[in-house]
Amino acid sequence: MNLFKKITGLFFFVFVLVTASIQAQTKKGDVLIKNGTVITITDGTLENTDVLVKNGKIDRIGKNLKAPRGAEEVNATGMFVMPGIIDAHSHIAGTSINEGTSQVTAEVSMEDVVNPIDVSIYRALAGGVTSIHLMHGSANVIGGQNETLKLRWGTTDPDDLRFEGAPRTIKFALGENPTRGARRRGIQPQSRMGVEAMLRNTFNDALKYKKAWEDYRANRSSNKVAPEYSLRMETMVDILEGEILVHCHSYRADEIYMLMKVFSDFGIERLTFQHANEAYKVAPELAEFGASASVFSDWWAYKLEVYYSTAYNAAILTKNGVTTSINSDSGELIRHLFHEAAKTQKYGDLSDNEALALITLNPAKQLGIDNRVGSLEKGKDGDIAIFDKHPLSIYAIPQMTFVDGVKYFDINTDKADQRIYIDPESSISDVQIFHAENQHRCMEGADIVNLYDLLNSNEE
Amino acid sequence: MKFLRKLLFRLLFILPLVGLSLNAFAQSDPTGESPATRTYAITNATIVQAPGTVMEQATLIIKNGLISEVGKNLKVPEYAEEIDGTDMYVYPGFIDGMSYTGAKRPKAMERPNNLFTPDPPNDYAGITPQHKVVEQVQLDESSIEGLRKVGFTISHTVPYGRMLPGSGALLLLRDATHPDEMILSEDVSMYTQFVGAPGAYPGNTLGIMAKWRNLFKNAANSKNHAELHAKNPRGVERPHRDRVLEAFFPVVAKEQPVFYNSTNALEARRAMRLQNELNFELALGNLKQAWDLTDAIKQHNAKVFMSINLPKEPKNSKEEDKSDEVKTLEERRMEFYKQYLSQYASLKEQGIKFGVSTMGTSGSKVKTNMMTIIENGLSEDDALAALTTDAAELLGISEIAGTLESGKLGNAIVTTGPYFDKDSQVKMVFVDGDKYEYEVKDKSKKKATADTGESNTEGDAILLGSWSYSFTTPEGEQTGKMIFKRENGELTGVMTSDDGTPDVDMSNISFLNNELSFDFTVDAGGQSIEIVVTGTVNGKEYEADASVAAFNFNFPITATKDDDER
Repeated sequence: MNLFKKITGLFFFVFVLVTASIQAQTKKGDVLIKNGTVITITDGTLENTDVLVKNGKIDRIGKNLKAPRGAEEVNATGMFVMPGIIDAHSHIAGTSINEGTSQVTAEVSMEDVVNPIDVSIYRALAGGVTSIHLMHGSANVIGGQNETLKLRWGTTDPDDLRFEGAPRTIKFALGENPTRGARRRGIQPQSRMGVEAMLRNTFNDALKYKKAWEDYRANRSSNKVAPEYSLRMETMVDILEGEILVHCHSYRADEIYMLMKVFSDFGIERLTFQHANEAYKVAPELAEFGASASVFSDWWAYKLEVYYSTAYNAAILTKNGVTTSINSDSGELIRHLFHEAAKTQKYGDLSDNEALALITLNPAKQLGIDNRVGSLEKGKDGDIAIFDKHPLSIYAIPQMTFVDGVKYFDINTDKADQRIYIDPESSISDVQIFHAENQHRCMEGADIVNLYDLLNSNEE
Repeated sequence: MKFLRKLLFRLLFILPLVGLSLNAFAQSDPTGESPATRTYAITNATIVQAPGTVMEQATLIIKNGLISEVGKNLKVPEYAEEIDGTDMYVYPGFIDGMSYTGAKRPKAMERPNNLFTPDPPNDYAGITPQHKVVEQVQLDESSIEGLRKVGFTISHTVPYGRMLPGSGALLLLRDATHPDEMILSEDVSMYTQFVGAPGAYPGNTLGIMAKWRNLFKNAANSKNHAELHAKNPRGVERPHRDRVLEAFFPVVAKEQPVFYNSTNALEARRAMRLQNELNFELALGNLKQAWDLTDAIKQHNAKVFMSINLPKEPKNSKEEDKSDEVKTLEERRMEFYKQYLSQYASLKEQGIKFGVSTMGTSGSKVKTNMMTIIENGLSEDDALAALTTDAAELLGISEIAGTLESGKLGNAIVTTGPYFDKDSQVKMVFVDGDKYEYEVKDKSKKKATADTGESNTEGDAILLGSWSYSFTTPEGEQTGKMIFKRENGELTGVMTSDDGTPDVDMSNISFLNNELSFDFTVDAGGQSIEIVVTGTVNGKEYEADASVAAFNFNFPITATKDDDER
């Protein structure tokens, strides 16, 4: 008996060692931010207030706090301290964006292609961003699973960027992007009607798949044979069971309404519309469903289906009780999401708190991480941005950015060359130019050219 | 190069449409020069039995394909060919951990009409793990001789292809009349890489990772089903044959390792992520960035075969008034260059054994690159171990290869001095007990000609100068110049384009025995794509095959030497 205990004890010990070593701990910091104007989002704005972060978590918010031994102290007198900005729609830090070859690719996941050495991560930190939603592209009706990241710059291990504990999310797409790709390939869906049919068919397939496996598991026969395994269908089943939050690329009100109907029919509740330029037309319906929207501040008319929109979109949605965020979808815009939020004060008169919630608490809710980030509260993660002026002022400049209490950006000690890996064969002049084409990657790899196009194209 | 760029840009999304590689059919050697004996005695030589184990004035006897004896004062057997090893060094034959040596890239499958891109045929998707590399082996592949003459005797050769090209085999780099004769052992690995199908699923890393999981899990289920059925077929649904899934069975059973072509650190981490989820034996091959991976490699118990295709040394600007920014950027670039070179030494310091992979390197670069690695901290013994004992151990063939010990395969290298000395030359290579002899050049003479400023390699003059090249894309003919020069003893080349596209530098230029090969990179829509050109110079004509590994796609390219303007 004793021996048995010893042996199991040993196994347990080994097991703990192995799991501990695989799930390496990311850095957690201690910091005391003194005497700033603290914009909590959930509990008003507090003047001359300190924020203490211990071991990566906000330990106290109050006056005259004392720093624990060894903790960094930041004098924020005259500065503004806010929760780290969260971008609910980003394509930075990914080595691939679209598996656009098939119109349903629920099985693929952005967690496989996280690129921790993308310098865009640092640029985002320099704009006060602490978390992003690295999304699959919009080339397919049911695209890949997304990955919620914390911008822990400086590591080469993609797993270090993982927002541990964040719920799984997946990209859907409606309208021109998925139908254009499909038309070129000569596959379904080629119209908005086809998109709906494909969604319903795929969910029905998932129900059948689920049934097949349930039957298999319930079968007591020793001669039973497993049905075909499909990672795609497994994922679809997880969506039906509410384990995966859906983020759907969409523009038009009719298709937004369509998806809510489909989801009602299949009992899927957690839904965020991305872009959603016409969402304001169906704002009450969105509120009733409980769907969210993640929008641009004032960008539209870049293709036919996006001609009809308004800069009041975010404000109208907010006033109708829809959880709304403003996203970047861009490696450039991500650096000044606070400007984008501020535009809702010109277009729609949102309050400071409402405007800032668009880039903090609301995206956190849409990603299911509002228990951890999105506001400055005791017990939440020490993900904090410090600005020299009010972040909704056009003159505001981000000063420092913390993730888990660790400082990843400080304007005063900002190295010019932030690259983590350098190609020895690269040319110096390339490094000095900002590559504009890297900004919008939503349809990267999605366009295919067919034989006809190839042989008949004259464009250059 | 506009057309090419445009074409490649499209190939990012679509199929290979053009181009067949010239397929030279292998012929056996008709000369009948079979050796009089298969017993050899190398006497009075410095014999490096294994890294760090050296015998002076010793004898090595190779008989019937095996090493029969090594030691001092050995009796030379009757009928043996005695080789005077005075001033010579003898080493165990080198082992290549992962390469395409001997394999010929097959013609890429044409895109089927009305391809259903979400679920293409496995052959088009590149999912052919049931294939065996020997099907691609060509006896006259120049890579066999190219690597043998620098000392390689065994190659773990893997097939060309896309995501899952097939199984690898250990090949003896010997002359043969049929590829089967080269096989030391077959199906030693399942080879896989992050290469998607053009414009079809899986198209890139996203799809490849998912497909891998799906295949593996279905293979595990299928294996259970097959075993259940084999035990007692009565009352068990008949399993459907699926050779793709069956190829996974030994991997699922952990009887066959997966060799992942993981050129950079991120790819290596992805391979380890799959291994962690699915649980198989993993080897990381062709690895170029390992310095941040030591902990992960240990955790995942991954075998490592490092690429010895080193980056080119960066050339700092010679401008005198260059800005501080440029200076700092150049310093960091140099720091990373050094990082690439010194990682071999640090891997070893961290207790990670590794073999080498010659993928992307030609035989002519092996020694200089190994010497560069040694200059950057790896000991000569450790370098030798990577080529012999460590490689043998990682490939599970220590019983028969890796050292010069009696009973092992007759694989040995005879050199005119210590292998890693600049001036030493390979005089003989024994593979499977057979002797291959190489001409030893008088280096002092060669230097003299170099000093006079003439070309220092015989036949160089044929190459140097300007060539007009052309190749055809579906959009039309593409023409321009290839200009070769010899600068500081090194071949350099540049490709110009008649359509005004900026010039591109060639790299890895090799010109030997009229075989000219080089590669260059084309920027296609922000993605840089490497094109490898290999072919033969015949007088003033160059006929070559350009291959785009990223798409497993080939096209022919020809060039004519321009008349000398001087």
